[in-house]
Amino acid sequence: MTALAFETFESDGRTEWLMRIGAEDAPAILFVPPLFEEMNRTRALLAAVMRRLAAQGFGCWLPDLSGTGESERDLGQAAWDDWRHDVTAAAAYVTGKAATPLIASLRGGVLLDDAAGARGWWRFAPVDGLALQRDMVRAGLAGVEWAGYAPSDAMKAGLAGAAQKEVAKLRTVRLATDAQPADLKVDGPALWRRSEPGTSDTLADALAADLAEWSRACAG
Amino acid sequence: MAAAPNDETEIENTLRAVLADVLGLDPARVAGFREETPLFGALPEFDSMAVAGLLTELEERLGILIEDHEVDADMMETFGALLTFARNKALT
Repeated sequence: MTALAFETFESDGRTEWLMRIGAEDAPAILFVPPLFEEMNRTRALLAAVMRRLAAQGFGCWLPDLSGTGESERDLGQAAWDDWRHDVTAAAAYVTGKAATPLIASLRGGVLLDDAAGARGWWRFAPVDGLALQRDMVRAGLAGVEWAGYAPSDAMKAGLAGAAQKEVAKLRTVRLATDAQPADLKVDGPALWRRSEPGTSDTLADALAADLAEWSRACAG
Repeated sequence: MAAAPNDETEIENTLRAVLADVLGLDPARVAGFREETPLFGALPEFDSMAVAGLLTELEERLGILIEDHEVDADMMETFGALLTFARNKALT
């Protein structure tokens, strides 16, 4: 029986939510999700990876960024820096509850993770803000602006100007179909592109196995 | 960026692979697509995010740049229309 809990943390005077799968006092991994519609499309994959790691004795944590998921705010009220602050505050919360986490960021989540206190970083299919913004604008070419999301203009500008920043102890993983360099290439579908939110056992297995190994390597 | 494919068959293979990857379709089904096979508007998998994904993946794998004004429903209407677009982009 794997523990599942929903907890709140304080970020800049706001109360935001964290989902935890696995024991509270286990070696911690804090996940930073993809952004906007990509978050929905990868949620099942994220949960599958978290469950696999929980079964191996890790405590996996996933915050809802301000204006998304269980957050009480509307997305239009959230600023880009709020999201960066949320990740930093969530890492501090996990450090207080368990221990300094490894941070595992997916897609646009890599743009938010560098200021947080962590014992190492792991990034999957990283994308820069401009490319992500371009995708969202292109979704509008088919008739649905920003795939139905309504971030503020300031949020859009913050995203467009964001690039992943260097961090110590970084491991980068990409799909085999991605030509850019990585520490590891894994086979699997680009689920963040798929209209039917689903998961892939092959991909979840590969990501969980690599994360477990990297987490142990960054044990400190 | 991978080496740009430079012959028609290679471009067609790349297009089929991108469609299978982005839309989550069985590669065997995509292999059966003909020129007149309808795509945008006919496949539920081909939604707005998939359009963005298709364009971005084609750019990366074919080494091309697609301007927003070149994108409309017509160029994605059938497999043949999309293939013609990809070939014109990659071979000129």
